[in-house]
Amino acid sequence: MALQPITGPASSSSGSSVFPILVFVQGNEQRTINLDHTPFTVGRKVDKDLVIADPRVSRDHALITSENGQFYVLDQGSKHGTFVNGERVQRKTLEQNDRVEFGIRDVAYVVFNPQHQTSNTAREFLNQISGIHISAESTDLEKLTLFLEAARKLNTTGVLDEILVTLLDATLKLTRAERGYVFMKADDGSLRLAAGRNSKAEPLLDDKTISHSILDDALNANSEFVITDTSQSLDLAGRQSIVAYDLRTVICIPLRKPQVQTSRDAQAPVEVPSGETIGALYVDSRFASRDISGVSNDILRVIATEAASLIENARLVQAEEAARRYQQELSIAASIQQRLMAVTIPDVPFARLKGRNLSCKEIGGDFFDAVNTDEGLAVVLADVSGKGVSAALLASQLQGMIYAQLTAGMSLIEIVTAANRFFTHKHIGEKYATLIVARIRRDGELEYVNCGHVPPLLVCNHEVMRPPHGNLPVGLLSDATYESDHCSLHAGDRLILVTDGVTEAENARGDFFEDSRLEAVAAKSSTLDDIFAAVANFCGGTPLSDDCTVVELHYSG
Amino acid sequence: MNLTIETRVADGVTIVSCSGRIMFGDEANALRDALKNVLSSTRHVVLDFSGVTYIDSGGLGTLVAVYSSARSGGADIKLTGLGPRLRDVLQITKLATVFEIYDNEQQAIAAFRQGGA
Repeated sequence: MALQPITGPASSSSGSSVFPILVFVQGNEQRTINLDHTPFTVGRKVDKDLVIADPRVSRDHALITSENGQFYVLDQGSKHGTFVNGERVQRKTLEQNDRVEFGIRDVAYVVFNPQHQTSNTAREFLNQISGIHISAESTDLEKLTLFLEAARKLNTTGVLDEILVTLLDATLKLTRAERGYVFMKADDGSLRLAAGRNSKAEPLLDDKTISHSILDDALNANSEFVITDTSQSLDLAGRQSIVAYDLRTVICIPLRKPQVQTSRDAQAPVEVPSGETIGALYVDSRFASRDISGVSNDILRVIATEAASLIENARLVQAEEAARRYQQELSIAASIQQRLMAVTIPDVPFARLKGRNLSCKEIGGDFFDAVNTDEGLAVVLADVSGKGVSAALLASQLQGMIYAQLTAGMSLIEIVTAANRFFTHKHIGEKYATLIVARIRRDGELEYVNCGHVPPLLVCNHEVMRPPHGNLPVGLLSDATYESDHCSLHAGDRLILVTDGVTEAENARGDFFEDSRLEAVAAKSSTLDDIFAAVANFCGGTPLSDDCTVVELHYSG
Repeated sequence: MNLTIETRVADGVTIVSCSGRIMFGDEANALRDALKNVLSSTRHVVLDFSGVTYIDSGGLGTLVAVYSSARSGGADIKLTGLGPRLRDVLQITKLATVFEIYDNEQQAIAAFRQGGA
């Protein structure tokens, strides 16, 4: 569930942001510990920083240490083990919200630096709210309205967690309940705890002690809210948590997606949201505590409608922000890709090189490169299978690898063999590349290796030849072996390399451009523009479905 | 999705018939899932591509990956019903030397009989 704020780590509830905090939960109790020194010791011995009196916890059970600003949990050879998020560990870096268990599972655990803290913004906001002068005659409903008005301003910052926490604090204040929780519906339809607070404004991280059956009932009931007073209802006796945790009153408010934007005017009647359930607001109090069943229905009704729209808005803002950041990252990646792929064509006296690429998407899997080496002018044209970012990532890797090896003077066969070994060894799934790497010497001697690529066109005197030489693509089979082909070029001869985006360019009828059309235009013309024009002419208005790249090497002798 | 996949058993060999286009994405995923499913219960598979009009580079990658993992798991996939375009693609990529390709289903099934593999 994407509820974590994008901002930095949460500060501790004590107001210090220097040290991370540990929230120790044991049964129904929890306490917050400032991790203000390391090593922080955990065990059954009384001299430990955290003493857990349970026979399953070893005397010297574990340590929490820090190194370079990172925190680690380190098992001290305990009998029953140390667990981070359910996985037994010896030493493990701790991340925000990690759940650490020492020997005993579920009954007692520590949450490392949990997120559901009020961060500065929310605290400031709460201060502002409490600072608003509310006359003594104001009703609770008026106070709530003021809160909601203010919360909408906070809403624009799109920090959902803070909104949830402030919403809970306000609800607890108004209902005088002991504990409050917000649950949000996850993608799989289950309810996940998104925030929890008690009336002392402490975070609650565990929802085990609430009545899940009432929560489920409330979601299934078609009402705005459900108030359950256990002292009045006999049929609740069988509900475990109510009995076990001595719950007296439970108020559960389903949060439904507002179908019509609710009125911004506090005086106007608010519309009852009737859309899908996005979560639930749950508050309760125990027998030992005060009775909250008499809380004004007006207040609950306002909370029900306004809280849902507040959360929905915050979610939208957050999703928009995430999408915007993602888009930004993508465009940075695209510009890096373009710069990596930019080819500086070497100036050599015996040959002219031209290359052109038409991408069907922003970033693609085609690339070509040219390197002048002691052994001659080398050209690479490759097409990584698939499209988009994943293809671009592999294309960059492959390009860098081939460039470095060409510069180092390795043989063409060694280069493709190494690339194949690298990609098959890394198990990159079903991705591979077809490529041609060619090198022409000053005397016209051409050596090239075709790895599953469209055969090159050798144009001599308007006659097009397609050498049948070929090998397996790079990255498909680890035991592939490669061979190269040689031929002698004469002044005026051209070598044309294309990707299959060219031969498989489609027109509206579903026909392909095909080798025959490519050969015909290559024989007639010596410009890349003519080849692209022929493709465009053939396709008509049909957009390209694959990258098209054409490289032409003209040997001038 | 532009691919339909049908599975039947003939002479103890599972025939997986595809028709449509095998493209990177949904189609390639469907082919992978269908073959993995079949390979969980049999080791002799004939992949009939007589209805396949096109396979793109991503689809080819999937085909090779499934084929390789079947081989390493002791199973075998034989190809049949390749149209001229598919033959070209396998020729260009030299994958024709990797796959076992037969002109028709009967020959592919017979090859399983003779080889026993």
